[in-house]
Amino acid sequence: MILDADTVEHGACLHTDVCVVGGGAAGISLALALSGRGLSIVLLESGRMAEDAATQALYAGEVADERLHSPADKYRQRCLGGSTATWGGRSMPFDPIDFETRSQVPASGWPISYEDLLPFYPQANALAEAGRFAYDAGEALGATAPPLVRGFASDVVRTDGLERFSCPTNFGRRYERRLRVAPDIRVLLGANCTGIALRPDGRSVRELAVATLAGRRFRVAARATVLAMGGLETARLLLASRDVAPQGVGNEHDVVGRYYMCHIAGNVGTLVFNGRPQDVRHGYEITPEGIYCRRRLAIVPAEQRRHGLANCVARLHFSRITDPRHRNGVLSGLFLARKFISYEYGKRLHDGNDPTAGVYARHLWNVVTDPFDTTTFLAHWVARRTLAQRKFPSVILRNRTNRFSLEMHGEQIPRADSRVTLTERTDALGLPRLRIDWRYSREDIESMGRTLDLIAQELERSGAGRLDYDRATLEEDLLRFGAYGGHHIGTARMGSDPRTSVVDADCRVHSVDNLFVAGSAAFPTSSQANPTLTLIALALRLGQHLAVRLGPAQAAHVPGVAP
Amino acid sequence: MKVLVLGGSGYVGARLCALLRDSGWATALCASSRQPAPGVNGLRVDTRDPAALRRALAGVDAVVNCVAGSASAIGQGAALLTQAALAAGCRRLVHLSSMAVYGPAEGRLDESCPLDGSLGWYAAAKVEAEEHVAAFAAQGGAAVVLRPGCVWGPGSALWVERIARLLQAGRLGDLGAAGDGWSNLVHVDDVCQAVLAALRGTDARPGVRSYNLAAPDSPRWNEYFVDLALAIGATPVRRLPPLQLRLDALLAGPPLKLLELAARRLPGSARRLPVVMPPNLLGLWERQLQLDATRATRELDLQWTAYQTALQQSAAWFLQQQRRGRRGMPAPLQGSDSPT
Repeated sequence: MILDADTVEHGACLHTDVCVVGGGAAGISLALALSGRGLSIVLLESGRMAEDAATQALYAGEVADERLHSPADKYRQRCLGGSTATWGGRSMPFDPIDFETRSQVPASGWPISYEDLLPFYPQANALAEAGRFAYDAGEALGATAPPLVRGFASDVVRTDGLERFSCPTNFGRRYERRLRVAPDIRVLLGANCTGIALRPDGRSVRELAVATLAGRRFRVAARATVLAMGGLETARLLLASRDVAPQGVGNEHDVVGRYYMCHIAGNVGTLVFNGRPQDVRHGYEITPEGIYCRRRLAIVPAEQRRHGLANCVARLHFSRITDPRHRNGVLSGLFLARKFISYEYGKRLHDGNDPTAGVYARHLWNVVTDPFDTTTFLAHWVARRTLAQRKFPSVILRNRTNRFSLEMHGEQIPRADSRVTLTERTDALGLPRLRIDWRYSREDIESMGRTLDLIAQELERSGAGRLDYDRATLEEDLLRFGAYGGHHIGTARMGSDPRTSVVDADCRVHSVDNLFVAGSAAFPTSSQANPTLTLIALALRLGQHLAVRLGPAQAAHVPGVAP
Repeated sequence: MKVLVLGGSGYVGARLCALLRDSGWATALCASSRQPAPGVNGLRVDTRDPAALRRALAGVDAVVNCVAGSASAIGQGAALLTQAALAAGCRRLVHLSSMAVYGPAEGRLDESCPLDGSLGWYAAAKVEAEEHVAAFAAQGGAAVVLRPGCVWGPGSALWVERIARLLQAGRLGDLGAAGDGWSNLVHVDDVCQAVLAALRGTDARPGVRSYNLAAPDSPRWNEYFVDLALAIGATPVRRLPPLQLRLDALLAGPPLKLLELAARRLPGSARRLPVVMPPNLLGLWERQLQLDATRATRELDLQWTAYQTALQQSAAWFLQQQRRGRRGMPAPLQGSDSPT
């Protein structure tokens, strides 16, 4: 059922088997996975069904360098469904190599393997509405599907790996009815967890403090508590809960909030293919089950190890939008419309320099002189994105010249000094606000440079094309918009050593017996992949663990439903 | 054991008559308002004619009520049948009800859920029929009530052919939240096995025992739609907006229904017309009702047909009968089990 937290009696203590804090992709997936297994579940969600400014303002915080990281209240949503409300929908699993301890990536290595997570990925795909768990083009599209580039074969650069796209699915709206109907789930909307109260010995959670913006306060006492609040809020709540552990819950070794990661991403270089434009598949394919998907370029694991590379992918992309020299009406149209595009999606249309009147004029000229492409694009966009339930994932331009740039998206090496901390200032409920100090390493840029070199070398060797990029401006190209927005990773990382990690292989906080973390906060490394699908899979795995740990001997039966 | 099957030419009834014939322990008398199928011991009976019912029940050990049709055929039909059975001394009855008797209730429902006939005339008639069965039991009858979900398998006009044709036409696909309800699919053979188990059960004490019937692995509707579309090659599957479904059911539905009724007078033409999407299906597809069939599994000792097996059989049947239709051969007559 779904209730409003303001209907809970002031001062009450709710008892439950599992309390999940946070109703986003991880929290909802976890609650649904636990339902029907003989346990009672309380899901605390700060927001309600729609966004609300006062609730959203609870996110506000400081950023150490605003050129490097977006403001704390962007790319996140406090409502049922969480940040899936602004999600782009890109869904693919982490690679097996991501879980390995790699010498080229210091502080890498998960205490679980790809195989441990694999059983949960198909269900994660289903929840994300991203179709089958098939990420090889041959398997997903059939053996006769055309390759990314005809005439390009390489043992170093793989081009048959796919990324799939969710609708994108807003988990709140999509699963609202399931949550309402479930007799064993109580979703409380408007319920902000303001503190984790430990027992005096600090070894287990006694109860959670909950507050609503209307002033109601109550508590939840659970056999197991799961923090599923995203990579930033999870660390914030752990650090802010200081009544028994003065350094914060789970923070005995000063690891909470550290190793904060996003992704290194940007458009780089000029790639020209030699063949005919129709021999290049730069856009989206549709799988038989109706899912948009797209091929990427990636360095095979053996070559990553050999060349000491961090994991990374490259997609075929158009040239920089803000530079009118592309003479493309669609791109110039996007540039001119940027004021109407949300912060999250318009960010890459604002590259820091204030455009001059001349630049505006040249963009306008591009639109006027390219009317056919511009109107065709607009018609397609309205039909396949604005009005469609399953949205066309991104802007794809007609390939006339076989010229592209590469859109890079790669992991960053974890570092302890990239971190979030608490400030002296507090939010409306008294919780200290966050300060975000995201950092990257020179090695991240160098790894991406060597990745580009390998791609260039393989293109040239095969005769398929040519990639040129400027090594001197690579760092600027990759950091022009700062850390890739919305991917908040690693602040309560998983590991077997409590000195360098916060949770164990079961996502349980090392020092607290009944406290767990679901979500990307628990990832020790960031992978080339976007985090959503993997955080859903990890939440489902945690659900399985909790059901076994807490459940009655005979699971899979719900007590009789009162109709 | 001599068993009278009423509604013997319907989807469940016809299959049941064949299984009883081959059972070795029962003789089936297959009664229908239509011409009986060849090869079974058939009998034409109008179930609303008490005298005809009494004649058909003479010397019968048990009666199975698979009658479909109008509200009166279901509701009053059950009243007449139970009275005639008591009069003829036939004390054992297996009655095919429906999950429609649970009304708009959601969640995982077992047989203790109270009955609610508020979801349209069909549900009201099914609830009324169950009341007559209860009265029959109160007067000494031993009744088993089976409440199946959506009965499918090869030959299912409603849950395979209709769905498959809608998928081929792009009028059905992945519906998102509008198709998130449980399908409660149950294979026609599993329903028949439940009837056989009820008939063979030695417990013939007066009273009513009710059983939900739905395969424990039956998926949500979206999953079924996508799987069936892939199995019959109706790809790529489309994600449909709820508005399109509503327009299809509410605007295109009535004229298509009139066309369908007109086409019934011209043999063979009905299959060339677009399928009607009845508005009540929209409610069904989003309803979070999951039948709990634990009792049937335990007490009737059912071995449920695996979903994947049923899916492959159903898709193969559909493709075969569509090929046959294209070659101009008459499609086999298919009964219907419920009006939804």
